[in-house]
Amino acid sequence: MFELLAQTGLNAAYAASYISLVAVGLVLIFGVMGVINFAHGELFMAGSYVVVALYADRMVPFFVAVVAGLIFVGILGLIMERALFRPLRDNPLGGLVASIGFLLILQALAVLGFGVRMEYVPPLTQDVIVFADKISIPVARLYVIIAAVVMLSALWYFLKRTRFGWALRASAQDPEAAALQGISVTQTAMIAMFIGAGFAGLAGALTAPLVSVNPHMGHTIIVTAFIVIIVGGVGSLEGAVVASVVYAFVHTFVTTFYDGVLADITGLSLMLIVLIVKPTGLFGSADRA
Amino acid sequence: MTSLLEVQNLTMRFGGLTAVDGLNFKVEKGHIHGLIGPNGAGKTTTFNMISGFYTPSDGKVLLNGEEISGLPMHHVANRGIVRTFQHSTLFGELSVLDNALVGTHMTFRPNIFAAILGLDGAARRNALDRARSSLEFFGLGGLEDELAGDLSHGHQRALGMAVAYASRPDLILLDEPFTGMNPEETRQMMGLMRRLCAEGTTILLVEHDMQAIMGLCDNITCMSFGKFLAEGGPSEIRNHPDVIEAYLGGARHVA
Amino acid sequence: MRNFLIWAVVAVALIILPNLVSFSQQEVLVFLTINILVVASYRLLTLTGEWSLGHVVIMGVGAYASALVTKELGLWVPLGILVGGASAAFIAFLLSYPLFRMKGFYFLIGSFAAGEIIRLLWKRFRDPFGGAKGIKGIDPMPDFSIGIYQFDFFEPVSYFYFSAVVVALCLWILWRIEKSPVGLTFHAVHWQDKLAQASGVNLRSYRTLAFVIASGFAGIAGALLAHYIGTINPNSFDVEVMVFVLTWAIVGGTGTFYGPILGCIVLTILNEIVLRELGLEQTRPLIYGLILILSILFMPNGLESIVQKFTRRKEAK
Repeated sequence: MFELLAQTGLNAAYAASYISLVAVGLVLIFGVMGVINFAHGELFMAGSYVVVALYADRMVPFFVAVVAGLIFVGILGLIMERALFRPLRDNPLGGLVASIGFLLILQALAVLGFGVRMEYVPPLTQDVIVFADKISIPVARLYVIIAAVVMLSALWYFLKRTRFGWALRASAQDPEAAALQGISVTQTAMIAMFIGAGFAGLAGALTAPLVSVNPHMGHTIIVTAFIVIIVGGVGSLEGAVVASVVYAFVHTFVTTFYDGVLADITGLSLMLIVLIVKPTGLFGSADRA
Repeated sequence: MTSLLEVQNLTMRFGGLTAVDGLNFKVEKGHIHGLIGPNGAGKTTTFNMISGFYTPSDGKVLLNGEEISGLPMHHVANRGIVRTFQHSTLFGELSVLDNALVGTHMTFRPNIFAAILGLDGAARRNALDRARSSLEFFGLGGLEDELAGDLSHGHQRALGMAVAYASRPDLILLDEPFTGMNPEETRQMMGLMRRLCAEGTTILLVEHDMQAIMGLCDNITCMSFGKFLAEGGPSEIRNHPDVIEAYLGGARHVA
Repeated sequence: MRNFLIWAVVAVALIILPNLVSFSQQEVLVFLTINILVVASYRLLTLTGEWSLGHVVIMGVGAYASALVTKELGLWVPLGILVGGASAAFIAFLLSYPLFRMKGFYFLIGSFAAGEIIRLLWKRFRDPFGGAKGIKGIDPMPDFSIGIYQFDFFEPVSYFYFSAVVVALCLWILWRIEKSPVGLTFHAVHWQDKLAQASGVNLRSYRTLAFVIASGFAGIAGALLAHYIGTINPNSFDVEVMVFVLTWAIVGGTGTFYGPILGCIVLTILNEIVLRELGLEQTRPLIYGLILILSILFMPNGLESIVQKFTRRKEAK
């Protein structure tokens, strides 16, 4: 029993890692631009397909492909900012609708480019570290956990310790005051969009060998990310990370001990309950909705 | 003899800040009653508690001796207290007539089944008559089909009152009705209020334009920093040392 | 009299129309008719200012309910369709308690979550919902004759006539509601909820009322669909379909009654005639995505704004 619990806990930690990367990006974009990016799941998918195209199809080293995924999806984010969110800055519902349009386009492009089939991405490594004879961690999953911790720490450092980060947080709190301080709203929006989208792409790229890559994979991701940011409090980065961990554990345990659909229902119900009882989220304070 | 409206020990705390502190006053039927005080005195907070927009932290609001504090705004409205808002809050995207028709909501409650089957013709005609007469009363008769958002500032204020009056309330609460008006508009507005009062509607208004309020009100309650300061007729308030003190520079206008 | 003539011409045109097109286009006509009801009912919900992402799932509630009562209990299909509408309205009524504690963006996400939960429940409970495979072999409408015309529901033309009558009746009711004092109150709740409340309007009741009515008609649309295609599953009502409904509404414009209907018709024609003829059906999401983005960027008031420009110019002359 203990082994099963520990094993499930490790699986949950892996899930928490990539969910945090996705959710933190979503929160960052919402915080700075006031737009909920419905295409975030498809940005994750785009990251996965970069790995399919480079690593699986063209034998580019995995880590190069992952970095390419981050940058490529980051650039997609910049395109969204320039083409959609900037012209719709005064229209949050419009931004949301436009992101749904972008979601459809990315999905269709994936179908046209790769077909609706599931992609096979060869595993990076089959190595498994075994603890106490019973608990095994696949090294590939360990990489995801490490990468997430490193990148989230880097983001934390960037936001709290650099001038750009200060500007970003200032304009998330009060865009007008930030503009008066000489902070360029456009510049902070671009940085937020690049990081936010890039993190989604990174998560997609990292997990590509471990999940089934297909054009419709974004749906599960975005639903999960919504649950996490609502539970964590829209606008709170720390809340998003904590909620990712909570959600990953609840979901993984319910999946292991009951079944996957019930786990999804539990997650969504958790979100509905938070919405009903405390719409600002369990850890949230600031919100711009 | 109970007063139309009575507030007892009304208190509102926001976190550590006490915006209104143990306020007591009465509004008599048929009066125009002013609630004045310098900026930040807690007038609007008081107003919001009476209209049901806020729930008081402590104390009571009594209408004809019945407690109404803590009721939601639409219940308070159904008891006969209708309020207006600052800054000409209207249904800007709807026509002037439609604005007034929304005001008749309580008297001619829409019934969806009757509406589908076309059985509510009489109610709709009566509502229309009521809305038109309210617009007529406030001199908006010719503007029925204009969008409310396109009206001039003075007309928007008048329409705000027409919407409130369309339900024929016992008590109308007016939130700073003279803000942003020129002397001519102010004078017209005062005339409308006197007529409204003559029709039997009691008025409670919040204002910091002392000039207007002095010439209009039967009774004035003055508050400062959330507390009751003084009460009386215009001449008493004008000469009350505490009021002059509270208004500081404002005393020059009063004199 | 003039109005009566116009409607008579429209009715005759609708009777002739399916006889002029191919079999597959007749099927498209049936779907179009049903979709018009979905998007028109969606507009009623948006009148109070709330945008839901659960409308298609609510439509599915109607489909499942009608399919189950006719299949399991042997209820007569037209009654089943009414039960479908009533069930959707009832579920919406229950959902209104948690959902209307939220507004704006939170309502949007909350309605999405509630819809997904319902879909997952269909998936999880094989009895009675059939799990991921859904319900197959749903009873078709029983054939009947009205003397001059023999309804044979294996023919799309017959189902088109039947659904057109049902949808026309529903649209008429929706129109009556919108033009009534109730409709005016919906607008008031949308534009200035505080002032509406100060005028004695119970905001919660009116938001709930709009949600329940819209859901009831969506349920009827879902039931009409179920008895036509004969098989439904949780994916028939997924978020992709919701995005299409949203696109129709936004491209058409939600400012008027006809806007969303116009959007639905124009995009269906584009989809079925242009894309299918060009063999570009695979790119449908791509085109929809582009249209959605372009219309929100350059035509925020929808197609109806173009119509209005045209009619205003005519009046001015």
